[in-house]
Order: sequence, then C-alpha cells, then structure tokens
Amino acid sequence: MNANISHIIFKHKESIIDQWLEEIPKFRTEDSLQNITDAMYENTNREFVDKLLSTVKNQTNDHADLVPFTERLIQLGWPLNYITRGLQEFRKITVATLSKSETDYNDSIELLQEIENWIDEIVNLLVNEYSGSWENTVFLQKMALKELSAPLIPVVDKISVMPLIGTIDTERAKHIMENLLTGVIEHRAEVVLIDITGVPVVDTMVAHHIIQASEAVRLVGAKCILVGIRPEIAQTIVNLGINLNKFPTKSTLKKGIETALEMTKRQIVEMEG
Amino acid sequence: MQVQTHVDINSEWGIVAARQAGRKLAREIGFGSVDQARITTAISELARNIYLYANKGQIYIEEVSNANKRGVKITAIDQGPGIKDVRKVMEDGFTTSGGLGAGLPGVRRLMDDFTIDSEVNNGTTISAIKWLR
Amino acid sequence: MRIPILKLRDYLLISVQVELDDKTALQFQEDVLSKIHEEGSRGVVIDLTSVEMIDSFIAKVLGDVVDMSNLMGAKVVLTGIQPPVAITLIDMGIMLEDVPTALDLEQGLDRLQLELEG
Repeated sequence: MNANISHIIFKHKESIIDQWLEEIPKFRTEDSLQNITDAMYENTNREFVDKLLSTVKNQTNDHADLVPFTERLIQLGWPLNYITRGLQEFRKITVATLSKSETDYNDSIELLQEIENWIDEIVNLLVNEYSGSWENTVFLQKMALKELSAPLIPVVDKISVMPLIGTIDTERAKHIMENLLTGVIEHRAEVVLIDITGVPVVDTMVAHHIIQASEAVRLVGAKCILVGIRPEIAQTIVNLGINLNKFPTKSTLKKGIETALEMTKRQIVEMEG
Repeated sequence: MQVQTHVDINSEWGIVAARQAGRKLAREIGFGSVDQARITTAISELARNIYLYANKGQIYIEEVSNANKRGVKITAIDQGPGIKDVRKVMEDGFTTSGGLGAGLPGVRRLMDDFTIDSEVNNGTTISAIKWLR
Repeated sequence: MRIPILKLRDYLLISVQVELDDKTALQFQEDVLSKIHEEGSRGVVIDLTSVEMIDSFIAKVLGDVVDMSNLMGAKVVLTGIQPPVAITLIDMGIMLEDVPTALDLEQGLDRLQLELEG
C-alpha cells in the first residue's frame, strides 16, 4: 500500500479499533458464536482487528501472514458471514474516520481506492481459505460415504453379505452394483445376501435397483438372497405391486444364512461333548 | 488437444474396429472398466445398426468437455432409409431384424445424453455422450 | 476365425478367448451345435472370462445357442461373465433369463452335473 496512506490509517488506528469493537457485537447472532465465552470472543475480535491493521504496513497486497490466523478462525468455527460483515464494517469505519479527519488530504479518491483494494484483497484471501476448507470437508465426507457405502463381507466360504444402509439413489446403486460384482468374483461367493434392514424406504426405484443388482449377480454366476425385510417393507412392496419372486427373500439375516448354507449343501452342527 | 477418430462402417469388420477405437479413447480419458464396457457396447450397437439398415456409414468418436466435466461422444451417421417411427424404435423389444430389440433403447440407457435425428429416405444421425463421473 | 471346442467325456468345454465379431459368433453357434450332434454331448460349458463386451447381437447368439442346445438335449452353462459385461447387459435390459451361470469353468462343470442329475 501507498506509504503515505498507510501512515494516515496508522495514525487513526486507535480510533478505528475502538469504533469497530463497539459495532461488531451486533453481528454476534450465530449459534457458534453464542457458545464461546465473552472473554474469548473479545480477545479474538481484538486479535482480528490488530491483524487487519498490521497488514497496512505490507508494501504488496500479499497478506499471507493472515493465513494462520484464518485457519484458527475456521477451526474455532467462526462463520464466514460474521467475518465478511466484520470486514465491511471495518471498511465503513475506516473510510468514515479518514474522511472526517483528513479533509486536507488532496486525493480522496485515491485514498478510497487504496482502502477498497486493501480490504478486497483480505476478503478474497479469507473467502478462499474458508471455501478451500469446505471443499476439503465435502471431499472427505464424500470419501467417507463411499467407503461406508457398500462393503461386501465374506462370512463363510462361498457366502458373502452386503448390508445396505441409508437411502439408495441411482448414483449409489451403480456403486453398490460394482462393489457387489467385483466382491463376488474376489471372494468367489456362490451366494450373496443383500441385507436391507438399514434401508429406510423401499420404493419402486429402490426395488428396481435391487432387482437389477441381483440379476447382474446371477449373470456373473452367483445367487442373491434378499434379507432384512421388515413388515412395513413387505407391505409397501406388495402394495406397490413390485415383483420380487425371482429370488428368495427372508425376514432376517440369520434365516438368510441358513438358506444360503442349504443352497451350498452345508449345515451348522453342534459339537458333542 | 481433443481427439477425434472416425471409422467407416461398410463391413462387419468396421463394427469391431469402431469398438476398439472407442475402448481405446474411453480408457485414455480415464473411464473405469464398467463405463468402458458401456461405451464399447453402445458403439457396437450403433455400428451394427448402420451395417444392418444402411449398409454403410460412419462412426465418429471424440472427446468432449463442458464447464466442469469430460466425456466421450459417439456420433453415428448414415444415408440409409431413415427411421419411420422414432418413438417405436426406442421401445424395448421392438425389432425389425429379428434381434432382441434392445439396441437403441439400450444405447440410451448405457449413455448419459442421447439424441436421434432421422428422416425417411434421407438417413439417420444418432449421437450419444457418456460423461466422466 | 474359429473358437476351439474341447470334448471331455459327455461334455463340451469352450473358452472364448477372442473378441467376438458377428461372423465368429455365428460360426461358433454352428460349430457348437454340430459338435453336440457328433458327440452326443449332454452338457456344454461356455467360459466368457476373457470376453470384454457383449452387445445385444452377441447376447442373442449366446441365448440362441443355449435354447438350441437344450432342444438337442444338451444343457449349457455360461461361466466367467465379468462384472462390467454383466452390468452392461443389465443396463441394456438383457437378463439372459433361464440361462444357468457359474463363476468359472470348474463351478460350471459342477453346475452341469447338478442340472443333469436333478
């Protein structure tokens, strides 16, 4: 920033800080800011405004030294909208203060522009940091969801179980189908139990996806048993007129495993003695 | 640099050549094995339709992209007899060749975008895009 | 191009190792049927582990081979259909219903034995 202007801003530092600290609490409505102590709140505000003013001294518009502080704000859960409002307020106060007291400064337009640029750069930096952290979070959640999505678990030789949990949309159905089929090959499963205990709603669409998956399983050379059919699910299936007759269905995983053992010509026997 | 290849379909070997070109491009773009199979199969259906109904035509296979994704586009062009009732050929199980009647409706399900443009006695243009997920 | 057909006792074993073009597929259909006729085979295993793509035409040829062989008194089991191929067939709405399948050649033979005894 222009050394002259930075000098002027610096001269009014105390006044700007005081006004800002007075104004800023009116934005403290967000839940995340209600939960912290007043002392912590005031300290962080003060640190924030100090950091802002310290960037005035930067010759360039590179405010990299704000990054660690921003990261802390993100971690503490300070909402972006509070921060941007704080910055807008800061700009208003700075412009108001300077235009009142520096009437003899010969180029007020230049002064305004410098302040605009300065604050804009900081806004950009903060928004970038925040959105970067959001994207990261969304990415991690997606990955977590994918992992949780559809594991095929080998239970005993030739028998595997795929527990489905949560809502099944088209995108997830595709993913489930791929996991199911590669798992069948990998574990050399002859029977796969698809457990829908954890699927909240089975509508025509979900049933269609499950039927397609079991048809595909048949093509690669294994068989499906649909288990975990709760009474309300059985009701919807019949009421919707969905035909699940092509493959066996059982109410519980336990019964399904018994059927699977039968199909692979085995049984569980109790040891004597 | 976006790649475009084209294969002339005037014999059964054209069908195989088009499939192979499609699989190669799909693999290069980064499609997984399942989508590679979908794309290859769609090309095979379109190429066979050309051979069966128009005797000859072209299959164009190219990489496409829009604001945030990449994909592969297949365009099948022939100057054959055209399709009288487009709605009818998009129905599952409808066939005039004694096949399964899964061809065109199948292609539409295998790919993401699908357009068909046909005029009787003036040929048919079908294009289909699969986007990289 | 011709796909080799092996005879093992009452069975025919076929492993498709090439990309199927239309002519090869039709030739294959003819060869299987005449081999069943010659050998009086009771069962056929067609292993598709190396096949990367099955479109509606090839699916029809395979389905026809199964039906025709059944007519001639030979059961057919398809084995080794790869996941991408299975998914593509399902997407196309081709279920190959009533066609027995198994994971691989070995299990295909077991399956045949089961079908023939039952």
